[in-house]
Amino acid sequence: MSDMNKDLNRMDDALKHALQRQEVPDGFTGRVLARVAAGDSPRRPVSREPWLGFFTQPLVRWAALAAVAVAMVLGVKLYNDHRERVEGEAAKQRLMLALRVAGSKLQLAKAKVNEMNAGQSTNRQVKE
Amino acid sequence: MSKTGTRKIVTTLWLVLLLASPIFAGAQDVKIPADVEKLSAKAKETVEVTMDGPMLRWASKYLSADDPEEHKAAKLVANLKGIYVRSFEFDKEGAYTAAEVEALRSQFRAPGWSRVVGVRSEHDGDNVDVFFKIENDKMAGIVIIAAEAKELTFVDIEGPIEVEQLADLGGEFGIPKLDHKSLQKAQKGDRR
Repeated sequence: MSDMNKDLNRMDDALKHALQRQEVPDGFTGRVLARVAAGDSPRRPVSREPWLGFFTQPLVRWAALAAVAVAMVLGVKLYNDHRERVEGEAAKQRLMLALRVAGSKLQLAKAKVNEMNAGQSTNRQVKE
Repeated sequence: MSKTGTRKIVTTLWLVLLLASPIFAGAQDVKIPADVEKLSAKAKETVEVTMDGPMLRWASKYLSADDPEEHKAAKLVANLKGIYVRSFEFDKEGAYTAAEVEALRSQFRAPGWSRVVGVRSEHDGDNVDVFFKIENDKMAGIVIIAAEAKELTFVDIEGPIEVEQLADLGGEFGIPKLDHKSLQKAQKGDRR
């Protein structure tokens, strides 16, 4: 007989031994039924991170949700304020640019008029 | 159809046409001809500012009272209804035609407008026109058209404005206070 067959037989015996019918201890059924009737459920496994267990409490959960919501609203508001300020600054720059262009062209007109007046007075002086 | 009915229809049509005309167009009375708007394609640099009343009020909220120039600007724009600027700078001369400039000028030969400055310089070819809009004996707007050899500028300011104060904002001794930074910033803002 080969070693392999020996191993298989040994496993077979072990299985038979493990699966053989055993008598229930006295009062076992009664104890199980009593616990079911009492509503006793098996204990939940304890979380590995103890701080996560803190959030299992409803009040804390709602507080956390409210904090997240407030943070989100504040974030959106801050972002909008920032964007509005940036756009406002850009609009101000455009306004200043428009006024500077207008002002410089008014000055050009003024300079041209002064130039012409000066030219005319010079001509008058030359004629005299 | 009776004569009265026909007259009513004609009157209504006239009213509709009148209300649709640029004079009653609301935000901006003065129209910039399409040919002039197209000049930006040929221009080396374009300044394009379009600000109506609400936009002006919003922008002026950001003018600082501590900065003397901005403080002056805030006082200037307080009662304005709009500012519209188109300025094109070209690489070479002859980028625009006299007809295009004339199309702009012709709008201000209408009643209510008064030409206060009209300079035609044969020496350097610079032409500058300044028109005032008069309403109830008060100044209600100003239009400046400056046609220079390599530059064409059109400015329309609607509302009462102090001309001397506006000229002050143009810079010292006629040199515009225009730096590249402010121009680029403003152009970026316009694109946005």
